[in-house]
Amino acid sequence: MFETGIRQLRMALGIVAGRRLDTRNLGRLIDDALTTMAEFGEPGGDVQELLGGPLADPADRAEFIQRGVRRTARRLAARSAFYRRRFAAVGADPGRLDVAGLQAIPVTTKRDLIERQGDFLCTDVARHLTTRTTGTTGRPAEIWLSRYETELWPALGALSQVLRDELRPGDVMQVNISSRAIAANHLAAASCRLAGAGCRLLGVVSPDEALDSLAGGGATLLSTYPSYLAELVTAAMRRGMGPDDFALRRVAVGGEVLSPSVARAACQVLGVARIEDTFSMTEVIPVTGRTCSASHLHHDLNTGLTELLDLQTGEPAGPGALGTVVITPFFPYRDCMPVFRYDTRDVARRLPGEELTCELAGIPATSQILGKAEHLLRPGPGGVITPRQVIAAVEALPARPWPARYRAGVHDGRVRLTLPASAVEGLGEAGARRQLADAGLDVDLALVGDGPAAALRHTRSDLREATFSSPQALIGA
Amino acid sequence: MPGAHDMPVSLLQASLTLCVVTVVGVVVVCGGALLYFRRVRQDRPAIGTFNGRDIVILLVLLIGLPFLYAALPRWALTCFLVLTFAAALSIGYSKVFGAGPVWLATGLVVGANLWTSQALMGTTVGWQMWWAELDILVAFGAIAVANLYVQGGMRLQHVAWFGLALAIYDVSSTLIINVTAQLVEEFIGSPLDPTFGMRFGVSNYGIGIGDLLFYALFVVASYKAYGRVAARLAFVVMIAFGGLAPTLFPLVYDLVDFRNDVLVPSQLFFAPAAFLCYLWMKRHYGRERTMAEYRASAGGAAPAPVPAQAAPAPEPASV
Repeated sequence: MFETGIRQLRMALGIVAGRRLDTRNLGRLIDDALTTMAEFGEPGGDVQELLGGPLADPADRAEFIQRGVRRTARRLAARSAFYRRRFAAVGADPGRLDVAGLQAIPVTTKRDLIERQGDFLCTDVARHLTTRTTGTTGRPAEIWLSRYETELWPALGALSQVLRDELRPGDVMQVNISSRAIAANHLAAASCRLAGAGCRLLGVVSPDEALDSLAGGGATLLSTYPSYLAELVTAAMRRGMGPDDFALRRVAVGGEVLSPSVARAACQVLGVARIEDTFSMTEVIPVTGRTCSASHLHHDLNTGLTELLDLQTGEPAGPGALGTVVITPFFPYRDCMPVFRYDTRDVARRLPGEELTCELAGIPATSQILGKAEHLLRPGPGGVITPRQVIAAVEALPARPWPARYRAGVHDGRVRLTLPASAVEGLGEAGARRQLADAGLDVDLALVGDGPAAALRHTRSDLREATFSSPQALIGA
Repeated sequence: MPGAHDMPVSLLQASLTLCVVTVVGVVVVCGGALLYFRRVRQDRPAIGTFNGRDIVILLVLLIGLPFLYAALPRWALTCFLVLTFAAALSIGYSKVFGAGPVWLATGLVVGANLWTSQALMGTTVGWQMWWAELDILVAFGAIAVANLYVQGGMRLQHVAWFGLALAIYDVSSTLIINVTAQLVEEFIGSPLDPTFGMRFGVSNYGIGIGDLLFYALFVVASYKAYGRVAARLAFVVMIAFGGLAPTLFPLVYDLVDFRNDVLVPSQLFFAPAAFLCYLWMKRHYGRERTMAEYRASAGGAAPAPVPAQAAPAPEPASV
């Protein structure tokens, strides 16, 4: 207990001073957390302070964020060629930046990252490992990670997961995400190692193969994409599998929109109470977001600043307005190829001003991610249809066309939705149009054959990885 | 460390009086600690549980304390004791009675003891008031600290081993290097003497807070580990080897020192008995319950005895 107190103090001093954290100290703290959970079954009362950051007082929170922004900007001005130029171009003094003054600094785009990758590398850090975005929304971006980052992120992740009882010794985590998502796979494996859990990195293999591994108690945790979860559920239902075939206690998804229909079916088939819908992105690791029971997305305060900027003006979005999520990971949580005000182009809605009452009420929140800014439909003045609305409506069709394959566009002020014919099976075109209208989508419907369905909308489950035991994947490769 | 000081009364009378005072002290403290354990959940840090290294740290502190007491000037020592008692009582009772009342009560009793030490020590009644104030502070303090440790994850195994180490220290400091006698001499009549006791006639009878704390640890840890029956057994062992044996031992062995005091190293009797009791319970009941298992159970229900061929249950990882 005395030693643990000293370790916690060391970690807290590192955070307050903005120094790189000692990852070995963090590793020992994880051991302490495991022992604590084994003895008490839960962490002590002030765990939220440890996990959620300085939540209680808005003034403390603002001060914490301001220090993080200045610390990060000062370092970038000294070590990153891209940001040295950018700050100089707008005459920003990194040591005096405050959150209001951030508006003067242009956001960083994915294009900047792809075209001037070398300029983002900090001069005082040795490169260790690269990770790539999956590229489902265009050309992939490549991010360099330092050895420190590859040790720090899993340690922070494991510590919070152990304290939230999301990861236990003896758990087996099955990870069905693209094998090219190196950072995410490494994070999963290293977090499991630190927590004494097993980890099965399967990649995006055929759903039947993944189900075979999950079944019979083969895994207690599943981490995947919503689209792949939809395929898993479809395959499980086809095989007549149900909750008794699995020993899962948690299913977490991220990277795409999860519809209520798929979430509900996944809970029923896999036997879990809820599907955890998380937000994370390769470019802004380790800043993440968690969805609460009221479907708010709560953004991590400890490791970075999350802004929501109006899509038209670039100013902070007002209550109820849509905005793009812009994230600044703080030093010392990111040190090799950091970004500052990175525009994710993920759109969310600012919540109305009322005080939150959910279980994560102390952590700032927006709506869940509604889709990419480029995919918003504007059928008329003031009217906006988000990809989340379309996906939810299509995946709610009785034929269970999961994951939703569609193409949507606006023609003469009307939304035209193209669906594969199988999506409206049993309902007919008129019936489908009525059901979509009931879901708030008054659309013109166009049906195409099932052959080109996958080409209508790419999902991450399309990043199928071939194995010798899955001939379909070989054919498709 | 039960002890009788300044005793012109017969040894039998002194031993019996000391026995009564000691038994009252241990029953009040151990019973109170057990009641507290069953009724009150103390706050604890987000991460951290008591482990073997904490025992070593405690021992080092314990061995170092007498030297600290000797080195500090009287006013500094009094300040240190005020802080120690105030912290223990605040941690232990703020949640139960509210921070304000606890600070007020602590201030009143500590203040009264400081005043009594200066103003009323010439009379038996004055001495008895001084002891009564101390008894309140010491009993409540020991109850709070015992719970702080056990509710913080200290296991019966830790208590048992801690006891053995304590016994060696107790015997050495009492019978070999006379540190205890010097401390008793130094403290008696001073403010906040960490002893539970009473004065009858011209003699003082008392038991040190360290012994009371250890007895309470043993009883509460037994209850947490193995339930109500184990706690009863621990209580009996504690009364026999912590209350009766050390206080009646001077009747059969001369422990009167050069100051005419009788100082008995209690842990010489109690710690080995507690250790053997722990070994028996471990063999009979098996693995100790964790705090989580204790809370999940009815609390006092004893676990089923271990089947003869059962494999040892996994222990929680130690850090």
